[in-house]
Amino acid sequence: MRIESRAAALRSHTLLTVLSLLSVLPLYWMLVTALRAPNEIFSTTPWPQNPSLDNFAYILGGVPILRMLWNTAIVATLTTIAQLITALLAAYAFARWKNKWSQALFALLTVTWLIPAQVVMVPGYLLVTRFDMLDTLAALVVPHAASAFAIIMLYQALRAFPDELIEAAVIDGAGHLRILRSLIVPNLKPALASLAILLFITSWNDYFWPLLVTRSQDSAVIQIGLQMFMTQEGNQWGPLMAAASVASLPLLALYVVLQKQIVDSFLRSGLK
Amino acid sequence: MTDAVRLPAPFARATAEAAAPVYRVPAWVAPALFLLPAFATLGLWIYWPLIEALRLSFYEWNLLPTAAPVYVGLDNYRNLLALAELRTAAWNTVVYTLGLLPLTVALPLLIALMTREAVGRAGAVYRAIIFVPMIIAPVVVAVVWRWLLNPDHGIVNKLLGGLGVPSLRFLQDPDTAIWTIIFITGWKLVGFSTLLFAAAMTNIDQSLVEAARIDGASESQIARRIVVPLVAPTGIFLTVLTVLHGAQWSFVYINVLTQGGPRHATTNLYYLLWEYGFGTFAIGWSTAAGMLLFAAFAVFAAIGLWAMRRTDRHAH
Repeated sequence: MRIESRAAALRSHTLLTVLSLLSVLPLYWMLVTALRAPNEIFSTTPWPQNPSLDNFAYILGGVPILRMLWNTAIVATLTTIAQLITALLAAYAFARWKNKWSQALFALLTVTWLIPAQVVMVPGYLLVTRFDMLDTLAALVVPHAASAFAIIMLYQALRAFPDELIEAAVIDGAGHLRILRSLIVPNLKPALASLAILLFITSWNDYFWPLLVTRSQDSAVIQIGLQMFMTQEGNQWGPLMAAASVASLPLLALYVVLQKQIVDSFLRSGLK
Repeated sequence: MTDAVRLPAPFARATAEAAAPVYRVPAWVAPALFLLPAFATLGLWIYWPLIEALRLSFYEWNLLPTAAPVYVGLDNYRNLLALAELRTAAWNTVVYTLGLLPLTVALPLLIALMTREAVGRAGAVYRAIIFVPMIIAPVVVAVVWRWLLNPDHGIVNKLLGGLGVPSLRFLQDPDTAIWTIIFITGWKLVGFSTLLFAAAMTNIDQSLVEAARIDGASESQIARRIVVPLVAPTGIFLTVLTVLHGAQWSFVYINVLTQGGPRHATTNLYYLLWEYGFGTFAIGWSTAAGMLLFAAFAVFAAIGLWAMRRTDRHAH
């Protein structure tokens, strides 16, 4: 028994070590390449011989990468806030008023899961041009101000909320907004925070919609900026890896701080 | 949600204000107002575009505001279905989906099963590392793998060269390109899926496993007869997710790395929609192909939903 379980533990460690290496080595190589001196880009030493920030300096001088990061931060923050507010209001309505109409609307929400972005892209693009929003940050936020996923997640959290407490607040004469603000939001803080993390990361990493409505470097988010850079200087591996590193560092930093919460919120969205 | 529910004190104050309703607002107004922001947004940017796409699928148009769309009835559909390009893309979509399933379901399940033995405090470290690819942006993933797999200077080919393997043109060779894209798509998800299975496994009642062990069941019997059936809902969930979204996840990698090539080897239906829509501006074709895709989706989704309900009922 003892030997058997020690062998099993060894097997676990081996497998997990292999999977861990496979997960981070590509990113490690990205950083190593970015930090190599330009004349050592093709070197295969496991770390840079003469670490240099030349590649980073090169991209900072060439593309408005800081501007793009700033754009991405604004878009991701505003999208997250908008999605949280619209989802909170809608989830509250679904939890409080239950009838055949609300059920039909809820079913309609789940249908959005089945509509690939590529199927509705042409009319969406036409709407953006009609509202004169092409190539603006508004075009990246406004169409994504509501998320069916966020509504469903918050509705599930709200369903677990004791009805008696809401009833008590209603008897006390509290209006709906007041109930939301001073009863529900304070008590749903963990669920809201976990959802906010998911929405922020999703928005930060979004690629397809920005690809559709962005034209210029100045209104590009970092994902599009990275692709523009690759198209222009595809085989400048050092600067390209530096740009990829800059594009991922903000989320990686967030991950270092909130690692447990981030993993938990992703897993919770998958485990019902 | 482990926090105890806290009730704020000043609710009583509002009683007097609410006591004198002179004019009653109809009961549906409040819920409607709460639902409005969300559904106005979804309606304008998802539901209406879906209907508009259906309408456009009966027209021939090149997206230019100066050219009026010409009604062509079912011609777009008829032309599309006769097109070899569409068949290639549809077949590739199937290849993407089936090729991803081992990476998003089978392999993670296997790893989670084989690492059930406690790894102690190191478990948290593995968890944190394995999850990392999930938060990296797909564009970053694409450019990093483009560098790693570069035929001339990429580290993968240099390592293979050390073993005597001649340089492989992973993304440039029509025979390997689609599998390379599938691998890259799966690389991002394999850790997440493994953790999802592992989390489902920790929810299993350990007394069941202990009882089977006392009855003399071997570890592989326990895995097959107890653990796998109990994590089946997670497996079904990941399968449905992959079938519905797998080929869509590949879009970024196709667009950044191969643009559907070489010789259409990596194109799929999503990429074809994009090419028709914004590559050649064949709006009628793009929207008609989109409608076909949506119809196929609805069928798969219905099957998936049915399967999820079924396993859920069995599991509880």
